[in-house]
Amino acid sequence: MSAYLVGGLVLGGIYAIATVGLVLTYRSSRVFNFAHGAIAYFLAITFHWLAVDQGWPRLTAGLFTILVAGPVLGVILWAVLFRRLAHAPASVRLVSTVGLWVALPPIARVVYGHREIFDRLGMGPSPARTWKITGVVVDSNQIAVLVSALVVAALLAVLLRTTAWGLSVRATVDNPMMAGIAGIDTERVTAGAWMLGVALAGLAGVLLAPLRGYQDFQFTLLVIAAFAAVVIARMSSLVLAFGGSILIGMLQSLSQSKQAEDLLTHILPKDSIILKGLVPSIPFVLMLVFLLLYRGLAREQFLVDERAGDAVPLDPVVGDRSLFRRLAPLAVLLAVVVALPYLVSGLWQAVVAKGLALSIAFLSYTVVTGEGGMISLCQVTFAGIAGALTARFATGAGMATLPAVLLAALIVVPFGLLVALPSLRLGDLYLALATLAFAELVENMYFQLQSVNQFDSGVAVPRPRIGPIGFSGDRAFYYLLVVLFAVVALLVVNVRRSTTGLTLAAVRSSEPAAATLGISIIRAKLVAFGLSAFIAGLGGGLYVTYAQRSLPYVSFNALIGIVWLAVVVTWGIRSVPGALLAGLSFAVIPHFFSEHFSGGWLELPTMLFGLGAIGLARRPRGIVHDVTHRRRQRAAARATAAKVAT
Amino acid sequence: MTALLAVEEVSVRFGGVHALRSVSLEVAAGRVAGLIGPNGAGKSTLFDVVSGLRAPATGRVLMDGRDITGSSPQARARLGMARTFQRLELFGELTVRQHLVVAHRVRHRQARLALDLLGLGSRPRPGEDDAVDGVLDLLGLGSIAGAPARALPIGTGRLVEVARAVATEPRVILLDEPSSGLDGAETERLAAVLGRLRAERAVALLLVEHNVDLVLSLADRVTVVDFGAVIADGTPDDIRADQAVQRAYLGAAP
Repeated sequence: MSAYLVGGLVLGGIYAIATVGLVLTYRSSRVFNFAHGAIAYFLAITFHWLAVDQGWPRLTAGLFTILVAGPVLGVILWAVLFRRLAHAPASVRLVSTVGLWVALPPIARVVYGHREIFDRLGMGPSPARTWKITGVVVDSNQIAVLVSALVVAALLAVLLRTTAWGLSVRATVDNPMMAGIAGIDTERVTAGAWMLGVALAGLAGVLLAPLRGYQDFQFTLLVIAAFAAVVIARMSSLVLAFGGSILIGMLQSLSQSKQAEDLLTHILPKDSIILKGLVPSIPFVLMLVFLLLYRGLAREQFLVDERAGDAVPLDPVVGDRSLFRRLAPLAVLLAVVVALPYLVSGLWQAVVAKGLALSIAFLSYTVVTGEGGMISLCQVTFAGIAGALTARFATGAGMATLPAVLLAALIVVPFGLLVALPSLRLGDLYLALATLAFAELVENMYFQLQSVNQFDSGVAVPRPRIGPIGFSGDRAFYYLLVVLFAVVALLVVNVRRSTTGLTLAAVRSSEPAAATLGISIIRAKLVAFGLSAFIAGLGGGLYVTYAQRSLPYVSFNALIGIVWLAVVVTWGIRSVPGALLAGLSFAVIPHFFSEHFSGGWLELPTMLFGLGAIGLARRPRGIVHDVTHRRRQRAAARATAAKVAT
Repeated sequence: MTALLAVEEVSVRFGGVHALRSVSLEVAAGRVAGLIGPNGAGKSTLFDVVSGLRAPATGRVLMDGRDITGSSPQARARLGMARTFQRLELFGELTVRQHLVVAHRVRHRQARLALDLLGLGSRPRPGEDDAVDGVLDLLGLGSIAGAPARALPIGTGRLVEVARAVATEPRVILLDEPSSGLDGAETERLAAVLGRLRAERAVALLLVEHNVDLVLSLADRVTVVDFGAVIADGTPDDIRADQAVQRAYLGAAP
């Protein structure tokens, strides 16, 4: 038992180091860094490369990574990205760091040579030296974590409480404008916070690797635990961040002990998956518990982003272009989409069908983010649940495929509402974190159930039949998807133009004004969230029908969801053609690369998608908007110039 | 006669600072209550309390004699309360006309998702067009009805705020510095509009203003606050004569 206590303390210590870095950067810049885990991964790989490939002494390599590489990476990221984000709308800030999360791991693998790392080398001796202290075995890696956590805690306390820099940080956090007026160079303070924050991510990464290895999902688990601790800390309290981290580490470690297992096997059903999924689900459960606990607190007691309602800047709803101008590009796109199966052959027909199924799922972002102004990181999970249910209804219960897809998508809706409800009141960031934790929970519990996963072979799904017409061929199925995409797109456009759409636009622009007008903000957002869950569900059901197999752990895991979001925002989160192109490019680009390249090049598509989302800091409306509106903007500029001249 | 809207001894604290200290005022149907005071006197905070965006530490807000202190902003809107914001809170990507359509529809019908999905939710209901056009005319916004709000100058934006509040067909409107940023002609128009609202629709107005002349000419009763506390309360004539007010706020006597 006491070994699990030490294990929990160690795990909690790593979480704490990661969490305080996250809180520090968020507090000083209002940019919540979703890429924190990816940065930890990047720096851990940097360490490994220095120590193994370059043959540096391991301690030197470790210290260099934490004290030099970390701060340098921090200041570079601040200069090129985070600084620019400080004045961007909340959703752009969120999505840009999500893009960084997507782009960094492949960049690390390309920069340091594409390879899998199977060893678990750390800074300390390898194999680790062990000691027996009052009957508990502790090894050198664990000692390193405990000492580091204590040093970080002490260092931060001293830095923030007693130094001039600490005072400037606290002033900047309270009120950047007043701090600026008082003569504090807030930019320098923020840059310093990012250097420190990124260095702490590096420290957490280098400490985690010898305990858990160098696979990138380990760093995702790290950062999800840190996100839960950040929620416990209400984004602001470093003390709560530390305590929350330890709590999560302890619970995760203790839940693996013999005693806990005995206890749980008594009260839970026998399926061992619940035990297996318990550890990853602890952050989500704790996040949920604390969100519910905090419900009684006033909104002001949270570090809520005041600009949260200021969503992605959008196209004006009213079109002043002529009908022809508006429809011409759409007609061209439609013609290409219809002709596509005849332009490509064989395997590519399946690839474009896959892309189209994804496009339908991507329309759910058009609703939840484009209309609702919310960032959801679990659309992929809704798709995955609906896909698994579709397989169960169609293959298990013998339902016709299309009704099964519809039913599965409807079943997903209440789940969507339940995920959104506790965090909606607190704004975009809490919702994004809760949805991410939910994605992780479902991935580790439901998607790994024996009946869903079937030893990684998945559950078969038959292609549909409508009366005499069968859709077993990829080309026929593709055209069915074209029709279904058009139907869903029509629904989305209808909602946008309706009273619901107007209401959502109002809520997105100004929550106080919407509320005093009598609009129920929670209801409006729930409608958008529920509808988007339904659409994501449809997309998921159709995706498994395309693949003729449901294997959600592979197709719909949380990390894939992150890439989904990056692709969609790159093309345009508000745009129906944007969703279409995003789906097609998500399927086509990686397939193209896998046919023509090998090795590190295969990382390139993911990297591009991530960079696309990062680029949002520059052009928040996406490619589709930029291309279609450039001409219009020029015309408007000319008109204005003419007016000024007269 | 019970006041349409009454504020009873409302206090608000931010940390250790008293933003409002036991402030009371009331306004009846078809009447105008003015609220003046220097910057930071707590006027906007009071509006947030009245409209339900902020809970007071102590005190009550009553509408038709009913305690609504714990009600949501939405519930107050349903009772017939509307407000404008000093820092403009317009719906940037909606047109001026759409602002009024949203306001009108919130009052008159719930959005029905099923209909909206089928494309039946965008048609105006009977009477909606007339009502919206009426408000546009009232505030002289007809010529810019199709302009998106984010492109408007501040003065026009204020008029849109007023129009949006009027479009909910309220019984009481809280106006937070509606004339700031308006030019002389716009201010006159605003004063005329407010006069018509009270006369024709018996709307009660609670008016926070920097433009003291506007308040003193429109209001039936004026409350003066400074440092979160009421320092004077009376008819416009009383206020003009009040020594404390002149010292704290008006500077030289008008």
